[in-house]
Amino acid sequence: MTAGGDTTLGRSMAGSDTKGARGSVPAASVRQIDGVPLNDVAPPRHSGRWIALILLLVLAGQMAVAVAGNPNFHWHVFAEYLFHRNVLRGVLWTLGLTVAAMSVAVVLAIALVVMRDSDNPILRGLSWLWVWFFRGTPIYTQLLFWGLFAVLFPVLSLSIPFGPELLTIETKRVITAMTAAILGLAFNESAYLTEIFRAGFRAIDRGQTEAAQAIGIPKAKIWARILLPQAMRTIIPPTGNETIGMLKMTSLVLAIPFTLDLMFATNAIANRLYLPVPLLMVAGFWYLVITSVLMVGQHYLERHFGKGHDAGAGQRA
Amino acid sequence: MTVASLTHTATNASHAGSASVEITGVHKFFGTVHALRGIDLTIRPGEVCVAIGPSGSGKSTLLRCINQLETISAGRIHLNGELQGYTDSGGRLHQLSPRRIAAQRRRTGMVFQRFNLFPHMTALQNVMEGPVQVRRIPRARAREQARALLDRVGLGGLGDRYPNQISGGQQQRVAIARALAMEPEVMLFDEPTSALDPELVGEVLDVIKDLVRTGMTMMLVTHEIGFAREIADHLVFMDQGAIVEEGRPREMLSQPKNPRTQAFLSKVL
Repeated sequence: MTAGGDTTLGRSMAGSDTKGARGSVPAASVRQIDGVPLNDVAPPRHSGRWIALILLLVLAGQMAVAVAGNPNFHWHVFAEYLFHRNVLRGVLWTLGLTVAAMSVAVVLAIALVVMRDSDNPILRGLSWLWVWFFRGTPIYTQLLFWGLFAVLFPVLSLSIPFGPELLTIETKRVITAMTAAILGLAFNESAYLTEIFRAGFRAIDRGQTEAAQAIGIPKAKIWARILLPQAMRTIIPPTGNETIGMLKMTSLVLAIPFTLDLMFATNAIANRLYLPVPLLMVAGFWYLVITSVLMVGQHYLERHFGKGHDAGAGQRA
Repeated sequence: MTVASLTHTATNASHAGSASVEITGVHKFFGTVHALRGIDLTIRPGEVCVAIGPSGSGKSTLLRCINQLETISAGRIHLNGELQGYTDSGGRLHQLSPRRIAAQRRRTGMVFQRFNLFPHMTALQNVMEGPVQVRRIPRARAREQARALLDRVGLGGLGDRYPNQISGGQQQRVAIARALAMEPEVMLFDEPTSALDPELVGEVLDVIKDLVRTGMTMMLVTHEIGFAREIADHLVFMDQGAIVEEGRPREMLSQPKNPRTQAFLSKVL
């Protein structure tokens, strides 16, 4: 009864290896499995696809010629600045900001989702309030305030209420332009991610939590070992979306002002040369490159967390 | 001293690893729905108690109350004399901490109608999860123990398969092995064969029969009347949230006293 599936599988594999009796079918190349000659099927014609492909290639060629041969694009400027020092530094900063802000946002969002599901009404309320505030105000405004933080609160001090001060720090030492940029982007993003994660956790069957509880697994471990790995499957695609959105949102850090990111770098060069178009193309090129790299990462993450769902589902015994 | 703890001391000499369950005056409300209406039931150590009855009669709810997947609205449940879910100080109950409740749940093993295996773990990992994470047994030893348990339920070769790569009957047997890995004192089965194709029911029932032979305390909710007759020491018929009739399966199934039991049995037998 258990071995039933295995034997069939084993036999069919052996069958495909043996190039034995051809039966009554005359064709030499008929595929056989288990001695059964399979139907020789000619796939349907897709002439429409070929026509569409040719049309699209012609269109693409025309567009390429129109853009490549167009002096208004200043391709020599594009080539000159594509690997410019400031541009490459901008690429690294943009990538760095994206990764740092997303990492902080993911950690925050997991904490916020767990809080939202807590028995403790204070934690639930805090989580709700956080999402309400950071999702409800514009990111640009939030970044402006992060930039002004050191002006609004020149010193940060830890003290006992109405008592002595324990620790005093100058704000601008802690909240630098970089930390302001990362925290500003991360806090805003965490609010959106919380909702994505919440949807992912909600999609898991209640029986999973019950089965884990029945074994006596404590709550924190149920989140970490049972629910999170399963939620990851549904969470990753929209989070990939958010990451790519974040990549481009980093250009808003000029509100702080933070001036090392890709958009600021290319804009600065463009303003100096009075040639915005080729430098917009430079920025666009690098944003596409980073997006592609992030998509490769997403592919591997999806494969990892698809275990037990996608992988091998076909070999059901 | 409560009545329950007296029962406990009286039956202490029984089979190790099997506890008694004492349910007294248990009510359960879901909102205004009165799902359990004053349940009194004692399962002695090593006894196999089977609950039958129509859908919605409260059998599963009662089972879920025993391992605290549902909180009870009134009454008490004791496991080997220990009050479940609360401490009792002069009639006022104080809810136990989640940690203490988790510790109490470890003493009961639960098998669900829809298996509820962890889909992102292999069969072996499913069985190892409790011992490693909760009982803190070293991984290598837990793996050995899990292999032995899978062997015991006849799945020795399927440890590396994911749940979606094995049949429903095999999944349910993994679920039984997973519950056994915690070395529970009571096993609870919530309609373990209801979600299975007919030809797969037998393999799961065989595994349960093997467990019966070990002398473990068990409570089982099922629609398999023939199986109930075969394994039960103690048969309970529930209807509309109450125990209508209980007794030895042979007598009860052949000569039911209560008209509601008679009506139910005439439909299913």
